[in-house]
Order: sequence, then structure tokens, then C-alpha cells
Amino acid sequence: MQSFLILLQKELRSFFLSPLAWVTMALFTFLNGWLLVGIINAMRLRVTPRSLVYNLFESGWFWMGFFILFPLITMRLFAEERKMGTIEGLLTAPVRTSEVVLSKYAATVVVYLLIITPVFLFFPVFQWVTGEQAAFQPGALVGSAFGLFLVGLFHIAIGTLASSITTNQLIAAMITFVFVMLHYFLGFLGKFGLTADSMWSDSLSYFSTVEHMHSLSEGLIDSRPVVYYVTFSAVLLTLTHHVLESRKWRA
Amino acid sequence: MIEVQNLTKRYSGRTAVDAISFEVGKGEIVGFLGPNGAGKSTTMRMLTCFLSATEGSAKVAGFDIYDDSIEVRRHLGYMPENVPLYLDMRVTEYLRFRARLKGLRNREAKRSVEEVMETCSLSEVSHKMISTLSKGYRQRVGLADALINKPDLLILDEPTNGLDPNQIRQSRELIRRLGEEHTILLSTHILSEVEMTCGRVVIIDQGKIRASDTPQELIRRLRRPGELLLEVEGDEEKILSALGKIPAVHSVEKVSHSEGWIACTLRVDPQADVRVEVSETIIRNGGKIRELASRAASLEDAFVDLVQHSGPDPRYEMDAPKSKSKKKPKSEAVSSEGAD
Repeated sequence: MQSFLILLQKELRSFFLSPLAWVTMALFTFLNGWLLVGIINAMRLRVTPRSLVYNLFESGWFWMGFFILFPLITMRLFAEERKMGTIEGLLTAPVRTSEVVLSKYAATVVVYLLIITPVFLFFPVFQWVTGEQAAFQPGALVGSAFGLFLVGLFHIAIGTLASSITTNQLIAAMITFVFVMLHYFLGFLGKFGLTADSMWSDSLSYFSTVEHMHSLSEGLIDSRPVVYYVTFSAVLLTLTHHVLESRKWRA
Repeated sequence: MIEVQNLTKRYSGRTAVDAISFEVGKGEIVGFLGPNGAGKSTTMRMLTCFLSATEGSAKVAGFDIYDDSIEVRRHLGYMPENVPLYLDMRVTEYLRFRARLKGLRNREAKRSVEEVMETCSLSEVSHKMISTLSKGYRQRVGLADALINKPDLLILDEPTNGLDPNQIRQSRELIRRLGEEHTILLSTHILSEVEMTCGRVVIIDQGKIRASDTPQELIRRLRRPGELLLEVEGDEEKILSALGKIPAVHSVEKVSHSEGWIACTLRVDPQADVRVEVSETIIRNGGKIRELASRAASLEDAFVDLVQHSGPDPRYEMDAPKSKSKKKPKSEAVSSEGAD
């Protein structure tokens, strides 16, 4: 526990002393601010039964920016340590490999939460500026925030694993991006002609991030996505642990 | 402090370390000497629990490298090859982080950082970013890191690699000073370094230990004959054939000839001192001597000799236990888990 906290502190420090975290945070906030303005204008022109929160997280543009976030914040985690050789000093210190994996993961989750927080501040700010009441419900806001947290846990775990299998940060980033996208489109597969069979499209919708977000951004908290994302994250982190340990016996 | 038994590391199709056994006692400075790719780093990585052995066992400070990996790591200070450091940290910050990571409490860590910075003369760069430091300073930061939790044992992988001659002298001095309080295992391919700092040398080549002894003893047991260089004047044929008749002289070789002086090299029995006999022989044959010098064999000769004659030489007896007892094969899955 002691080592975990020391490592966590070190990871957070190196995130915020490099410009990467700040640039990512600024660009992500800017992009979503712009998107929100667009959505507000669209909603003024055409009446919709959905709330502002629902419409933002329904938008493909939001998800585009969102997916690019994960490769950026996870690519250096292990790839950099392996390339620089500092992993040798780290793993020959009296710390457990699991503490190393978890501290890096936890630090990235903290960074991720800080990066998406401004997006949720948009809504109260909008309400405060315009005096408009009906734009969203607090339940929708909390639900979608929780949804993004869950999706983030899973995507950061993908990035952590990708970063541990290569010494090249760019390759780690590409692997993360591809798998994050694949997972997202898996949910859409059921909607296309390929799998007209209803059992397939039903099962695939359980994987669908968009589907999960629909219920969550209406303020309905379902336990199934919670179990789904947490379990998959745990599996990916376990794999990361094994990848790191495999250096010992790999030929 | 270190007990190694039949330690083996096999990569697919290649044996990097081949059933080596040796011991390092408390307070010793042992030099691990071998050409590049001989298995020095691999052995050190196994001892520091960074890699698992394919076969064999080792104990560091009384703890098994499989079963008590955390304890082993707590008791040793390791400086990896090329001294990898976090370049985006300042020196004190880095050392503080390492001290805390190695289990020192906040206040202890602070005090310990000051102590090691004093020992390694880092005070003047304490607030600099590691990325701006020269190779010599980085190497000292690495050494400070290895020392920070006052380990019983220091394992240093090529500590003087890439330094300039002046820095090499300084770090050699530092290592010798550290040897007064710590047990040290260091690897190098620079022979003079071992000769000057180490009490004992383990020569390793192609994953096998070729010899293990004090530097002086290795030189003494050298197979190569000693050499005498001399310059004489007089009847060339007569003098040289007379010299060749001395029993301890193996061969006489004329090197050069200038202004009547003949320079030649005698190969002689390393155990015999024939200098007086040589000078008397020359004078008896009506010659004059301008120079008579014996070139002592160096550790370099011993090293070249050993590494070129692959296969252990019976004359260099190993003092490591040769027991073939309990080769403890471990399955890979077990060993990969053992260290966590």
C-alpha cells in the first residue's frame, strides 16, 4: 500500500509536469465546448424530446474526441519505461509488480477524470448563463458522468495493456485506438444487415457503449454495464501483470 | 552474501549462462570479468530478481531469489547497465522517490538522500534536472540510488562504462571507498579496473566460469612465459646462441638492429628469475648491455589467455563448489510467479 501511494504520486507528478496532460485537457475541453454550442443551436432550430446531455453523448463527434484521448494518456505508461530502461530499476526495487501496474492505472484514471470534468461543468455554466431550466436533469448528468467513468476504466485498461507489450509509444497508441474503436463499433454491428438475426443483435447490444450511455444519460443506473466494464478492466490489468512478469522467463 | 549454485539461463537455442556456481563472502569486492555477451548482465539480472533462472538456485543475503524476492531486493542496491534514470526529475527528487520506494520513512529518506549525495559528491547538482547532467554525474546518481537504503550488497553492472579517464579514476576511488563498508559485485570488461579495485576476480566467458581467484594469483598461474627485453652490443651470433643455452630461456628473438645495438626478446619461464644469469652470459661472451628489463604478465594476459582457450583450463582451479548436487529444475510458470 505504501509503495502504491508513492508510485501513484510519482506517476501523477510526471503527468502534470509534462505538457501532454495540459494540452490534452485544453484541446478536449475546447472541442467539446464547440460541439455543445453546435448542439444547442441545432436544438433551437428543431424541437427534440431528448435532453441536452443525451444529445451531447449521442453525438458521434463527442466519441471521436473521446477515443483519441485514451491513446494519448496511456501510451507512455510502460512503453517509455521499457525504452529508457528505467523499468529495470523500478522492478528491482522491493515493490510488487501488481503495485506498479495498479499505481500507473490509478494515476491515469485520475488524470482522465480531471480531463473530462470540464465537460460536466458546461451544463451548470450553461444554465447559469442562460437561466434556462429544462435543458437537462441532474440525474442525467450524474448518470452519464458515471457512464463515462466506467467506459474510461475499460479504455484505460486497454491502453495500459497496449503500452506494456511494446517499447514504442506510437505503436501502443495505435493499438489502443484500434481496440477502443473496435469495441465501440461492435455495438453497431447489430444494427447492420450483417446480423439480421435477432439473437445476435441482442447480444451485441450488450457490448454497446452507446447503448449503455443511452440508459445512463437518462439517469437510469443499470448494474450490468458496471459489472461488464469493471470485469473487463480487471482482466486486462491481470494480463498486463503477466506481460510484465513474462520478461523473466521469455526466451 | 551471495551463493550461486548451478545457475542457468537459457534463451531459445542459446545458453546465456551455463550452470555457474560461485560465492561472494561478506565484505569482498568481487569483479565479474568477461567479454561482451559473456553472461555478466544476465547473471546480475537473475541475482536482482529482474530475470528468472532456467535452472539452479541462488541466495542473496541469505534469502532465496525465488521464494523471498522482495527481501532479496530490500537487501541489495543495484545499478543497471547504462544507468537508466527518470530524466524529467531533479536529482534530490529522484533520490527521495527511490528512498521512499525502498521503504524508508519520510524523515529517514530525507537524511539518507543528504548522506548519499555527500558520499557521491552530488551536492552541487542536487537541484538540476537529470536530463541536463553529464554521463559522469548520472553514473553517480545511479550509484547514490543503489546506496540509498544502506544495502548489505551492491551489484554494479559496468559502473565505469562510457566515462572519461578522469571520471573512471574518480569512480574507481569511490567504489574502493564503498568497499570498506559494503560487499560489492561489479562487472566490467576493463581489466585494469579489476586489478585495482577487486580482491577477487571471476572470469566468465560464453556463460561459463573460466577462473575465480585473486588478480595476483591469476597472473602467477599464467601459462604464458615471461618476457625479458634487452639491448646488447657485441658478437651477435655468439651472444644469442649462448643465451639460448640457458635452461630457463625458451626462445630468443631478435627484434631490431640499430647503430650496432641489437634489441631482442627472450621468452623465459615465468617462475624463474634469469636476469642475473643473462647479464653474466652476455658479459662472458664479450658483449655490453644497455637495457635489461622484464615485462611482467598482466591480468590482461591472463584474460586473453583464458578467453581464447575456450574450455576451462585445469591449471586455473575454480574455488567455487563443483557439486553437481540438486539441480533444482523449476518450471517457467513457477519461477515467473515466484518473484512477485
